[in-house]
Amino acid sequence: MYADLLNALPNVFAWTNFAAVIIGVIAGIVVGAMPGLSATMAISVLVPFTFGLEPLVALGLMAGIYNGAMYGGAIPAVLLRIPGTPAAVATTFDGYPMAQKGEGGFALQVAVVSSALGGIASAFALMLLAPPLSRVTLLFGPSEVFWVAVFGLASIIFLLGGNPIKGLISACFGVFVSVIGSDPIYGNDRFTFGQLEMLDGINIVILLVGLYALPPVIDLLETPLKTDGVNSSKLGTESIWKALPRMKGFGMTWLRGSFIGIWIGILPGAGGSMAAFMSYNEARRTSKTPETWGEGEPEGVAAAEVANNADTASALIPALTLGIPGTAVAAVMLGGLLVHGLQPGPMLFRDNPDIVFGFMWQFLFGAILLVLLGGSLATNSFARLLNLPRPLLGSVIIVLMLIGVYSIHGRMFDVYLMLGFGAIGWVMDRLKFPLPPVVLGLILGGFAEENLRLALRIGRGDPMVLFQNTTSLILVALTIAVIVGPTLKKRFVDGRKKA
Amino acid sequence: MLKLMHKTALVGAMILTAGAALAEYPERPIEVIVGYSAGGGTDVMARTAAPFIERYLGEDASIVVKNMPGASGQIGVTEVANADPDGYTLGTFNLPGMMARTIDREADYDRDSFTYLANVVNDPNVIVTSTGSGLDTLDKLIAEATENPFAVTVGMSSLGGDDHFALIKLQNATETEFTIVPFKGSAPARTALLGGHVAMGILNISEVAEFQDQLNVLGVATQERSPFAPDLPTFQEQGLDLVNGSMRGFVAPAGLPEDIQAKLMDAFSQLSSDQEFLDAMAATANPVEVVTGEEFKQLTSDLYDLAEGVWETTPWN
Amino acid sequence: MPQSRKSRLTRPETLTAFGIVVVSAGFLIPTFELRAISALLPAAMLIGLIVLSVLLLVYDQRKAANGEESQPMTQSPRRVIGAFLLIVTYALATDFIGFYVSTVTTIPLVAWLFGYRSPVGLAIATVIVVGIIWAIFDFGMSQEFPAGRFWGH
Repeated sequence: MYADLLNALPNVFAWTNFAAVIIGVIAGIVVGAMPGLSATMAISVLVPFTFGLEPLVALGLMAGIYNGAMYGGAIPAVLLRIPGTPAAVATTFDGYPMAQKGEGGFALQVAVVSSALGGIASAFALMLLAPPLSRVTLLFGPSEVFWVAVFGLASIIFLLGGNPIKGLISACFGVFVSVIGSDPIYGNDRFTFGQLEMLDGINIVILLVGLYALPPVIDLLETPLKTDGVNSSKLGTESIWKALPRMKGFGMTWLRGSFIGIWIGILPGAGGSMAAFMSYNEARRTSKTPETWGEGEPEGVAAAEVANNADTASALIPALTLGIPGTAVAAVMLGGLLVHGLQPGPMLFRDNPDIVFGFMWQFLFGAILLVLLGGSLATNSFARLLNLPRPLLGSVIIVLMLIGVYSIHGRMFDVYLMLGFGAIGWVMDRLKFPLPPVVLGLILGGFAEENLRLALRIGRGDPMVLFQNTTSLILVALTIAVIVGPTLKKRFVDGRKKA
Repeated sequence: MLKLMHKTALVGAMILTAGAALAEYPERPIEVIVGYSAGGGTDVMARTAAPFIERYLGEDASIVVKNMPGASGQIGVTEVANADPDGYTLGTFNLPGMMARTIDREADYDRDSFTYLANVVNDPNVIVTSTGSGLDTLDKLIAEATENPFAVTVGMSSLGGDDHFALIKLQNATETEFTIVPFKGSAPARTALLGGHVAMGILNISEVAEFQDQLNVLGVATQERSPFAPDLPTFQEQGLDLVNGSMRGFVAPAGLPEDIQAKLMDAFSQLSSDQEFLDAMAATANPVEVVTGEEFKQLTSDLYDLAEGVWETTPWN
Repeated sequence: MPQSRKSRLTRPETLTAFGIVVVSAGFLIPTFELRAISALLPAAMLIGLIVLSVLLLVYDQRKAANGEESQPMTQSPRRVIGAFLLIVTYALATDFIGFYVSTVTTIPLVAWLFGYRSPVGLAIATVIVVGIIWAIFDFGMSQEFPAGRFWGH
């Protein structure tokens, strides 16, 4: 196998194949950086177009876009508090406060370095460990996956914000949105009101664009020509060589974030946003100064960005070996593979080693290229774009939102749906309802329900099926630790203070 | 420039034959509506077949594939049913799904809404068991299911699909009962099988071909051995009358002019003898079985009756 | 000084909480038609929303009773409503009269209405944005945008 890996290398350097990766990374950064456009949308638009391309050109483009977009999403997350991709939601927590403090440039440098490191770690996992990791995926049947989803949902308690009632309302809203569509087992519709467009459920991008991009656009138009926004002169960018030493304490966060990202990636269905949230929570939990988090802590940006890139390549491990994509973007990419006659499965590695291993190399180079292509030049030019007069910026974002949402399925229905979520999002934003629980609820709610019900069917109605093996029990223990841990710790600390 | 010349030539041709425009079909691009996202099995079939259809329709023919995903293909097929029957809107058609949807959901079309052109792919069902289940022959499986009703868990894709109908046929033929575990699609069902979380699975032959080493394939639901995997035995060889599969083909709206229908049908029927086409389909895991016109219509009708029969005795939602 | 009864009831949080209760209760009705297992999660979430909103309402009213002023949702409601209506109109226009026509009109119109009035800047921005969109999506990727139902497409 490792010989195949090396044999595939020369082909990757064929100039068309390498150019595809470069173009992909640039396109990915641009797409990710544009509020409203997402990686899922970019790759789904690209797939039919790649039908006529050489496999490695097509796959190189996709690998590049995926890597680029996962970083690109951080740019508007930092500068405008609009996550460019679902996975960049956690980047807004500390990235935007940093930008407001005039450290936006450093936030973006942290993001690009962390993204690249996460991507590189993930690419190595894909190249070297795909077969053993896919065996790990097999351990996760419906009941284990259910507990993974519950574990992810438990981390909502860290995202509740200042007012737990409002946070829980957000979470309930997100989970409720996740059940809209056809029932996961019987297929009858729930809350679709006869609309065929809603049968497949509500795409996360539609919700994300509505909730996160529309309120800032309204803000831009509400207070015109006010110049308190971030502008490039205030970005405070310094040379990357000066910035790097400031990141020297992030080693542990990077390592942990990479591990979490790779791990979440090989489990089908959860995806980059859960990885980023979990990495962020873990990094904050173990931080010596947790009180600075959420107020512009660079390590928070590092934790979120390293994890959301670390699940890119690893999400392809179950996709390539088992045909089950780890993230929404990997699902679209799987389509791109099928178009070229690359059927997922164990034979894939034997039948098409040049292409499969070439594709893995492209992921690695895509991640490395991020540093070169996503560096100060790219971020500064975007910062300048975002520094357009506010009404103009607002109207351009409106157009991008429409294109981004329309292009996912090619229908206006989704655009109207997005506007509906936008109205809700604006009210939530003004009344300080936290938005991250909505996103996590939507991603994990339906996923938890589907797997719970599959598990119960396997157990023929007996709930004990949920506790029958070690993997499940470990996950249950972790969930309890996440929920109870912080209160216990607080009691302990308070008790010591009193003493 | 080329495009311009092309257009001029087309306009010229149109003027010359203004009186007999229909004879010149197709004079503009033909749109093929696919009810699934780009990169899905049906989409790949449509895109693989498109250049061959273009070739058989004549020099100027051009086919544009348009994806209208959603509601397991229902949005796209409804669009086809409601399009003008002028030969410029065709669509892909999946069986038994498209017929089952008229039974288990509100649908704005029925089996008379289409002109049936050709079914191209027939992907037969297979029964597989996980290696850990110990049920490595059909006899053992049936014996276990007879002894312990509902003890065997069956992973498959959603209810009301070809997998489900195959299981119903199996249950009726062997008087057994299984516990159905409907996953969202075949790949998760197959993964659960590989991990031993369900004992048995009903999949399609194209979906297990790559995984033969890690699963027990008990049989294929065809009359004769599938050229796609000729080493796998059929159920009929093993004394079980079980024939079922997932089909994908092309339809047009009902009421297509006869000359256009004849021209399209002629183009589709040439596919089955085109080795280049067969190779391209094999590479994308699409077992080909071309059935055109009346025969295709009959096939659809039969499947509708089957689905309706199942629905009446055991409705699935 | 305690607020008047009317302003107590029109506090944004109170209104929102009340709205959530009404909408959630409305969504509860269709859950009765579902199988118990299908209705479980949605019903649990809706009931959760109702309970939490009632709590929110109670807390907000208590604040009102203590004389705490509520923050208005916006300083300039007309601008906010105007902006939202413009965005909805743009979506409708795209649907009915076509993407390019609507976009070419909307970009300068919105920017102009909300205070950016340099004709040259507006023209350049519109041409660049629409041009890039056309080049990448339409020309490069043969993506179709709505051509407008009004014209019979």
